[in-house]
Amino acid sequence: MSAPRETLHWLSGAAILAACSLAGRLLSERLALPVPGSVVGMLLLLAGLLLYGGVPRGLALVSSQLLRLLALLFLPAAVGVFFLRDLDAGDWLALLAATTIGTLLSFTLCALLLKKLLSNAELRERRQGDD
Amino acid sequence: MTEQFVSLLQGPLFILPLNVAAFLFGLQLYRRSGTALLHPIVGASALVAAVLWSLDIDYTDYQDASGLLYALLGPAVVALAIPLKQNLGIIRRAGWPLAVTLVVGAVLAPVVAIVIALLAGAARPVLLALAGKAVTTPIALAVADKIHAAQSLTVGIVVFSGVVAAVLGPALLRWLGIEDHRILGFALGINAHAIGTARALEISALCGAFAALAMGLCGALTALALPLLTGAGA
Repeated sequence: MSAPRETLHWLSGAAILAACSLAGRLLSERLALPVPGSVVGMLLLLAGLLLYGGVPRGLALVSSQLLRLLALLFLPAAVGVFFLRDLDAGDWLALLAATTIGTLLSFTLCALLLKKLLSNAELRERRQGDD
Repeated sequence: MTEQFVSLLQGPLFILPLNVAAFLFGLQLYRRSGTALLHPIVGASALVAAVLWSLDIDYTDYQDASGLLYALLGPAVVALAIPLKQNLGIIRRAGWPLAVTLVVGAVLAPVVAIVIALLAGAARPVLLALAGKAVTTPIALAVADKIHAAQSLTVGIVVFSGVVAAVLGPALLRWLGIEDHRILGFALGINAHAIGTARALEISALCGAFAALAMGLCGALTALALPLLTGAGA
């Protein structure tokens, strides 16, 4: 595969992402949807890919590059944590408790629920197999 | 001369290279240390904050100068459709147990956190920011914008939740006697999003696929439901 064609693939992938992002934003604004425009764009692209039946190579390339840079993209927002002024010590403590305990609790409950549901489903399959 | 220098420091010409350098530093720190506690964003944001402080640069000026990165967040959310599409086949095989767990988990994660924060007497901005807890950061940021939650607080909470679940989660499940990588991956994807997915990929490919699937679906679900629930459309 020659370099110019690679570049063309890459550009077409980037164009698809930009177009979906723009279309999502416009749709969200025009229809006054409560859903963020970028998420509308993601659903548009997902629907498109399901209809197309695959992922174009250029699109897969651009997307994996962009997703690898995710931490860089939300760095400016993350830096803001160091500049929060309107929270007092009590808020910080509540926040710490909520995230630590809350995360571990919901993590455990999710795992236990899925374990139960999966073993039920597998049991039923086996029973149907016996009939 | 000094005025020109100050405006240079507040402009994209200085801020964007600073962001990239901090990101590379955070990445190196994470790889060298090999622990999820030092997710790249931890080192990177601390370094940027230290530079802003020592050079006396305003956070709002820094935000303005970082406009290019904010602009790329939208396409990055759109790009999440690709891993979602690639993993969609898995849900057909494992079927409705995954769907049920996903819906319950997507509701449970923020609700448990908000209830604990309420009990601890947290203020309204904290509660709003906790609502986006179980979704991957770019979607959480878009949602925070819609429901008028503080973006910085939201990012902090998402990253911290991810680190907690990614570091302690696998050991917790082993202690509970759950060895199924599908279950571990799915729970990590719902509760620890991108950080959990990265951790899951280190454990096994199956674990990683389930985590990516859970992360994508959970993000889409929350983004659809949350603005409706908080009535931001009105």
